[in-house]
Amino acid sequence: MPIRKPWLEWDDAAPTKGLPGAMGVYELADAEQRVIYIGKAGARSPFGLRGELFRHFSTPERLARENWTHPRMGEPDLPSIAGRARYYRFEVNHMYYSRWVELLTRHQEDRGTLPPANLEDPEPRPRLGRYHWKSEEATSGL
Amino acid sequence: MDFELSDEQRLIIQGVRRFIREEIRPLEAGLDPDAYQLQARDRERLVAMVKEMGLYQMDVPVEYGGPGVDAVTRTLIAEELSQHRAGLYAPAYGVFGSGPPAQLYAGTEVQKERYLWPSIRGEKHGFFGLSEPSGGSDPARAIQTRAIRDGDEWVINGRKLWNSGADTADYGVVYVRTDPTKGRQGITAFIVDTDTPGFRVERLVQVLRAHYTTELSFTDMHVPHENILGEEGGGFALANDYLSANRIPYSAACLGVAVYAHEMAVEWAKQRVTFGEPLANRQAIQWMLVDNEIDIRTGRWAALAAADLAERHRPFRFESSMAKLLCTEGAGRVVDRCMQIFGGLGMSKDLPLERWYRELRIRRIGEGPSEVQRIVMARDILNVRSGS
Repeated sequence: MPIRKPWLEWDDAAPTKGLPGAMGVYELADAEQRVIYIGKAGARSPFGLRGELFRHFSTPERLARENWTHPRMGEPDLPSIAGRARYYRFEVNHMYYSRWVELLTRHQEDRGTLPPANLEDPEPRPRLGRYHWKSEEATSGL
Repeated sequence: MDFELSDEQRLIIQGVRRFIREEIRPLEAGLDPDAYQLQARDRERLVAMVKEMGLYQMDVPVEYGGPGVDAVTRTLIAEELSQHRAGLYAPAYGVFGSGPPAQLYAGTEVQKERYLWPSIRGEKHGFFGLSEPSGGSDPARAIQTRAIRDGDEWVINGRKLWNSGADTADYGVVYVRTDPTKGRQGITAFIVDTDTPGFRVERLVQVLRAHYTTELSFTDMHVPHENILGEEGGGFALANDYLSANRIPYSAACLGVAVYAHEMAVEWAKQRVTFGEPLANRQAIQWMLVDNEIDIRTGRWAALAAADLAERHRPFRFESSMAKLLCTEGAGRVVDRCMQIFGGLGMSKDLPLERWYRELRIRRIGEGPSEVQRIVMARDILNVRSGS
């Protein structure tokens, strides 16, 4: 099933502590709320979901202001995310890996392809399976 | 019974052990702690190495081109293959070959051509579909998925649960009730292509382990009569044979994890100093390590005893159930003790213990829960037939 949560718009001024430091999965969307990336904050993600979302969204000014030690902080983001990501939603989930695979599989089944930034992502992903049916969100054109 | 290893067995075991320690474990350092697959390039390289070792597709019988590994050696190998982070459910990440579902060897020549041989070559993958939302431990009664004959076809309706790999499979062996009046003799095995209209993966079911499983539905799914595997009404016996045989490597894989966890705990106990002394000097820790050793050795003897009987074509159902019970429960205790010895570190994802702890909990349920193993053994002791 998809992440059943409303999209949130990133607020660069909001305190980062409002985001969970836990493991889980997240989705990024563009201005039209189309999913452009499905990510996970796994066991090796410093600061969990908070760190991953901050890595994608935060500005250089904020990076300079806050003392983050995420190893990928400051790296250029994937082309489909950089400058395009506007919304996010997440789910705290200890089974982040299999849940991530589930979200990727559902997206691929519904849209016939992965989100654009996942196609660019060099991070290895396991072989994805098939549902053999499309979800209501896909068939209703949402 | 003499379980002194032959020179050949010793060589094989040493080779597999070296492979796991030198090829698999280093790769895991770069993978997510919950990963269950290797990158394609690593996989291809390692499969080539395994083929070179002569152990690829070792569960495939000699007459089908397999290497002809006997049941005892296979059990010893299974214990080695699982000695890494993902080893319990993805031993060596599958680079030794997963082989076809064993029931396919009972297939017709046409079925072998369409499913068995491509599976042996690694071109097709199958899943095993027995359990249903109505239950899994008592399939003779729990199976409600129905097949109704319609000319040269059968129309199947129903649901299946806990079908690992069904979402990535090309086909499955599914057990369906073809005659509701005949109990276990009314269950038939069908080979079902996953692209058959009416076949749906309803959901990926998230569980404790790193890999999800699936729930399936079949809606007016038309399957040709020629896709019956074995005889009509003979499905239960096919499934039972498979389950009994599979319990032996299933048990040995649990042991392998226990062995690795125990080795880690022994090393840690020697180096970790508390209150001025290594943990290893504390009687509380020593007793945990001794109890680990007892659980491991007891399980190993039971698994090897079952394998020895299977190899000699003697009845081994009691022994395989005993091995399954002892190894799954014993390994769970071993990993639990090892986590206690490691303290806080044992809880973290920096070590593989937490993953094994989660996955071993499932092993007490999967392939027949401990209570069912006891039922199987009790039937043998009391010489009673199970209900039809």
